[in-house]
Amino acid sequence: MITCKELIDYLIDYVSDELTPDQKAHIDHHLQFCPPCVTYIDTYKATIRLTKSLPMKPVPPELIARLKQAYVESGYGRSSPSAGA
Amino acid sequence: MNDVESKPPPTPETVFQEYTPRIYNLARRMLSSETDAEDVTQDVMLQVVRKLDTFRGEAALPTWLHRVTVNAALAHRRKRATRQKHQVTDPLEHILENGFHVAPVRPWSVDPAKPVMDQETHELIEEAIRELPEIYRDVYVLADVEGLPNAEIGELLELSLPAVKSRLHRARLIMRNALAPHFEEAAI
Repeated sequence: MITCKELIDYLIDYVSDELTPDQKAHIDHHLQFCPPCVTYIDTYKATIRLTKSLPMKPVPPELIARLKQAYVESGYGRSSPSAGA
Repeated sequence: MNDVESKPPPTPETVFQEYTPRIYNLARRMLSSETDAEDVTQDVMLQVVRKLDTFRGEAALPTWLHRVTVNAALAHRRKRATRQKHQVTDPLEHILENGFHVAPVRPWSVDPAKPVMDQETHELIEEAIRELPEIYRDVYVLADVEGLPNAEIGELLELSLPAVKSRLHRARLIMRNALAPHFEEAAI
């Protein structure tokens, strides 16, 4: 049976479904006997899921004003664009 | 002539409206600094305006913006007098002995069906990202925040695919450990 360390080394390919059938069989076999690794995988996946759901912070109003000013001064625009936030 | 070629280039207004938040947030997370991110955003937006005429349709614009923003952020970091020094420890050293878990792993109280988080949780995750060593943070932000494929990240950061995957995996382990104390269910 593979060790917990070896299983964790496989995780990046496990969560992206890039393991060979042989590697996946080793993981599945290990998980049948190792509750800590089952939980560890859940928390590894949760880390990815939580990060992916992070929202964007709004652009500070001062930066929007600064961009408009820089745009006008650049000579590429006759009027300032309306930068989004 | 295909659809992409027949479209006019995007206007500065469109680009400012749609892409400024993306550029700002990518730079902010890579540099762990809102002030530095503002400088990079201005640099990138001016490059965009100068080269906007070369874009026929917007298909290539997001890819190009990622490249320009990453390059500008890396250049900005190089210019900084002091580099951040984060101690890198083995993220598995406390839970594994002889290759096996030495203690139970506590589950997290995170509902998979409710990805919506409150402001405090957002800040916890942002703080954990800020604390990542730069070499791991760059890959983590591009992969798990921006959602870029590993191959594209390799091109952007001039890394081999195995190097991207190795850094991403280590970043995820560090992030998991950083978040665990906040999400673990109370011991019974």
